[in-house]
Amino acid sequence: MNLFLQVIAILAVVVGTLFSVVGVVGFIRLPDVYTRLHATGKVGVFGVVFLLVAAAFGEPLGWGRGLFLILLLVITGPATAHAIGSAANRIGLPRKGAERDDLVYTSKSKS
Amino acid sequence: MYNLLLIVPLLLVYLELSSNFELSNVVVGLLIVSGILLLIRPRRRPMAWHRLPSAIVALIKYVVILAYDLIMSGIQVARIVLDPALPIQQGIVAIPSECESELGSALSAHAITLTPGELVIEMDEQGVMYTHCLDATKSEQYVAEAQKMRRDLLEKIFS
Repeated sequence: MNLFLQVIAILAVVVGTLFSVVGVVGFIRLPDVYTRLHATGKVGVFGVVFLLVAAAFGEPLGWGRGLFLILLLVITGPATAHAIGSAANRIGLPRKGAERDDLVYTSKSKS
Repeated sequence: MYNLLLIVPLLLVYLELSSNFELSNVVVGLLIVSGILLLIRPRRRPMAWHRLPSAIVALIKYVVILAYDLIMSGIQVARIVLDPALPIQQGIVAIPSECESELGSALSAHAITLTPGELVIEMDEQGVMYTHCLDATKSEQYVAEAQKMRRDLLEKIFS
C-alpha cells in the first residue's frame, strides 16, 4: 500500500515537472501576450497542482493542506490570467494572425 | 450568536489541516478563526434542505466534467506548444453565458478561463463572454453545447 502511494507520488512529480517545462517553453515560443498567458497561466498552474498532488500522496499527514492549496490555486489562477488579458486588451495590444475576432473594439479601447 | 456557533467547525478544520493538537496551537487557531469571522461576518441564509442531494450530485458531476476538460485541453495545449510548426489559430470567440444570476456568469467565466487554451478577456452587460482561444476554429455548436451543460449544472448547484 505504501509502495503504491509512493509510485503515484513519483508519477505526479514527473507529470508536474513536465507541465512546468512545457509552460516555460510555451512562454518563450508563442508570439504575443494572449497566447503566452495560455502557456504560463494554465500549464504552469497544472504543473503546480500535480506537484501538490504528489505532496498529498507522499506525505500521509499533508493531504489536507495539499488539497486546500490546490483549491486556492484553482480559484485564483484564472483570475490573474483574466486580469492580465483584460488589461492587455484595454490598452490595445495586437493579436498576431488572429483567425477571427468577435471583439473588435471595447468602449475603453476606443476612447 | 450564529458567528459563535461557526467558530467550532472552523476550528476543527484548522486543527485537522495543521494536524497539531497542542494547547498553544488551539489558542492560535481560535485567534485565526475569530479574525476570519470578524472580517467576513457571514449571515445565516435559508437552506433548501430538500434540494441538497441533487445539488451534491450536480456538484460532483460538474467537478468530474471540469477535471476531464482540464486534462484533455492541457494535453492539447502542451502538444501545440511542443509542435515544431507551432500550429496556433488564435482568435476571439463570443460565448453568450445565458445565466440569470451574476454568480452563474462569474462561475462560467471562471470555468472557461481555467480550461487551458481558453481565456475570457472581456464581458459585457448582456453576459457575453469574449473568449480568447488558442484554437478558434471550433464550431459554434460545440461551444454553445458546452456552455449550456455548464449553465444547467451550475443552476442546479446554486438554486
